[in-house]
Amino acid sequence: MSHELIIFLAMVVTFAAGCFALKLPVSISMVLSAVIGALVGGQGIPLRHLVEGTFSYVDTVLVITCAMIFMKVVQESGALDALASLIIEKFHKVPALLLCLIMLVIMFPGMITGSSTAAVLSAGSIMAPVLMLMGIPALETASIIAMGGLLGMIAPPVNIPAMIIGGGIDIPYVGFELPLTLLTFPLAIFTVLLFGYKYVKKLDYEAIKLKLNNEPREKYGFRIFIPILLALVLMVLNKAVPSFPSLGMPLIFLIGAAVGLFTGNKIKVVTVCKDAVQSVLPVLGILMGVGMFIQVMTLTGVRGFIVTSCLSLPNGLLYVAMAVAIPLFGAVSSYGAASVLGVPFLLAFMSSNQIITASAISLIAALGDMMPPTALAGIFAAQVVGMKKYTPVLKKCLIPALVLIVWAILFIIFANQLAPFIVLK
Amino acid sequence: MMKKNTITGAICLVLALAIATVTGINFIELKNPGDIIPGPGVSEVHMLSEYFDGIAGTNGDTEIYVMQGKKPGGKVLILGGTHGNEPSGYMSAITFIENAVVDEGTVYVIPYTNRSGMTHNDAQEASPQYIHFSNKDGAVRTFRYGSRATNPIDQWPDPDVYVHAASGQTLSGSETRNINRAYPGVENGNLTEKVAYAITQMIKAENVNLTFDLHEASPEYPVINATVSHEKGMSVASVGLMELQFAGISMALEPSPVNLHGLTHRELGDYTDTIPLLMETANASQGRLRGATNEALALTGIDKAYEKSAELGMLYVPYDENGHPIEERVGRHLQGIIEYTKSYSEQYADAPVSFSNVPGYAELFTDSDGSDLGGARLGQYLN
Repeated sequence: MSHELIIFLAMVVTFAAGCFALKLPVSISMVLSAVIGALVGGQGIPLRHLVEGTFSYVDTVLVITCAMIFMKVVQESGALDALASLIIEKFHKVPALLLCLIMLVIMFPGMITGSSTAAVLSAGSIMAPVLMLMGIPALETASIIAMGGLLGMIAPPVNIPAMIIGGGIDIPYVGFELPLTLLTFPLAIFTVLLFGYKYVKKLDYEAIKLKLNNEPREKYGFRIFIPILLALVLMVLNKAVPSFPSLGMPLIFLIGAAVGLFTGNKIKVVTVCKDAVQSVLPVLGILMGVGMFIQVMTLTGVRGFIVTSCLSLPNGLLYVAMAVAIPLFGAVSSYGAASVLGVPFLLAFMSSNQIITASAISLIAALGDMMPPTALAGIFAAQVVGMKKYTPVLKKCLIPALVLIVWAILFIIFANQLAPFIVLK
Repeated sequence: MMKKNTITGAICLVLALAIATVTGINFIELKNPGDIIPGPGVSEVHMLSEYFDGIAGTNGDTEIYVMQGKKPGGKVLILGGTHGNEPSGYMSAITFIENAVVDEGTVYVIPYTNRSGMTHNDAQEASPQYIHFSNKDGAVRTFRYGSRATNPIDQWPDPDVYVHAASGQTLSGSETRNINRAYPGVENGNLTEKVAYAITQMIKAENVNLTFDLHEASPEYPVINATVSHEKGMSVASVGLMELQFAGISMALEPSPVNLHGLTHRELGDYTDTIPLLMETANASQGRLRGATNEALALTGIDKAYEKSAELGMLYVPYDENGHPIEERVGRHLQGIIEYTKSYSEQYADAPVSFSNVPGYAELFTDSDGSDLGGARLGQYLN
């Protein structure tokens, strides 16, 4: 047994023992497993590495925290109820189209920021009450939102994993639009109809109407929507007018939240912020633990051992290795998986059209956001519909996830045949 | 119960503060990338901010070592440390500064091109913080092992998407801090763009004829053991390349892609009169397939994970139990500078550049029996 495998097993066993035997939080178990990995790897307790690893997630931590504050403000102000009643009133006669439109709205923040968390926590949380009022159960609603977040993150124009994978072999981010569109939108329509259509095909508007809270809309009128519209405009502004400085997601969410204090119901700022931070704290802790975990894996050679083991499989099994390894590694971070495994797999499929292959690998990398323990898309999707556990969401998403993998692999297999038609440079 | 929680909380807080203090001090100590002891050929040391004061007083400002020849001639610029995690780039520049004597023309050397990138390490890469060499007197010389990108302390946050100012090309947001995606630079841009702008201004102000940008790449990266040339440098590069092949150095010549923007070999060629050449050697410590990450890996390249990858046919360089020691990588760069400069001087006889006393591939690598590779031999060429 190789030294790296022994270290890896020691880390996995420590993590499992921490979570299941000692009932410690996931974050603490990750920290312990990183420390044990370093000790078994002969590195002592490398404080510098443990701290340095966490810094990968500084930006993510800020986005998550600020997005949650925004979400809580929008919810408390009454804007969510107002939007739900408006959308259902306007589109209840065409439920399938309504579902597809809602999916597009969920995906949109992901499409322009490249972050599934941003999509789930902003548009996902806004659309959750709409879907549930239409009669879709909480579990299916969370699954739609989680998958919408993933697909939004991969859909054009902004796909960070594809940029990272392409950047690994110096392909500029040009010509990716159509492959990414074809990879994501059919899956989005499939997913939302799979989970939602049977509940909405006979939509009883009169019954739903009784459940709608029209009060905020009637009381505050258009101004109740201003924080949502403002956040949306600020997200798009820098993309449409590049000379306008990029404000960054955290600041955009905070501006939206600040404006939301004055556009609807009265809000206790300190309480809302405290609640928001408290609800995301376990996830932030996991991210810190994961940062340490991956840094120790790199330090001790476990990371290289995993990557080379995956790539050493015979050609046919390479697709299976990619379909399993990239999402699994994505448990650490989907961006990390794109860089650490996405680039070597792109090199392994070098004879296929690189733009289509990189696009398809980025789609598989997105599944990392559904992989425990981080499972950012799953955790937050469950949170926005009020579910206590997120594992049912992950189980529910298994079918679309498998379809997604098959869809991506088909694109890689037929990349060269598709290229003349869908890669427009 | 409440009291117990308060005590636990207080202990955690004190522990966190103690860890933050220890690691914070360690981080601050990374500011010095490694002192350089100029050799007899160095006539002046300037700061890059003298060409563009927009970077004065920032961590982007960096030293330019000027090596004036006895006779007039052309001008050569050597850029080391474009990427701080590619040690043969800046160690070649430093070895040149500490040894070379220029006979004709002028050689400018910027050992830490992205100086800010030398002052931190990339999260989750577990890079060594320092590399050490014993010099000819037995004293230990210490240099930093840095990052590919500008320190976030100097430039943060990254946008979602990096838009290259001159071309509109989009790349991943993290590339915003990569100086080799920022050329020709932006006068009022971010720090990385400003440093790139300063270098472009320096090349224009000094009428630099030939520019070398010294890099390393992971062994699985297709452009490796290669020289990338702007189209106007092809004749210089092809003659120099033949000389390198005669010296036993396997080197590929790649044309600079016209659709990949922000790199030295494209933009310095397009926006200035200089002939830009970029060279790559094989560095396991920056690769994705590497095993345990430490100083030894950076200096020897010995890595069983890469041996396995070579057996799988995944690499673009040969890889065996001898790795790719720093002497081989620095030797390739320095021999490249020697041969390409000779080739340039032959083709542009009105502005020749010549120098001596630079250790080449043979002195640094092939003349060794192998026992002193991995830092010891290179140390003998450091002051």
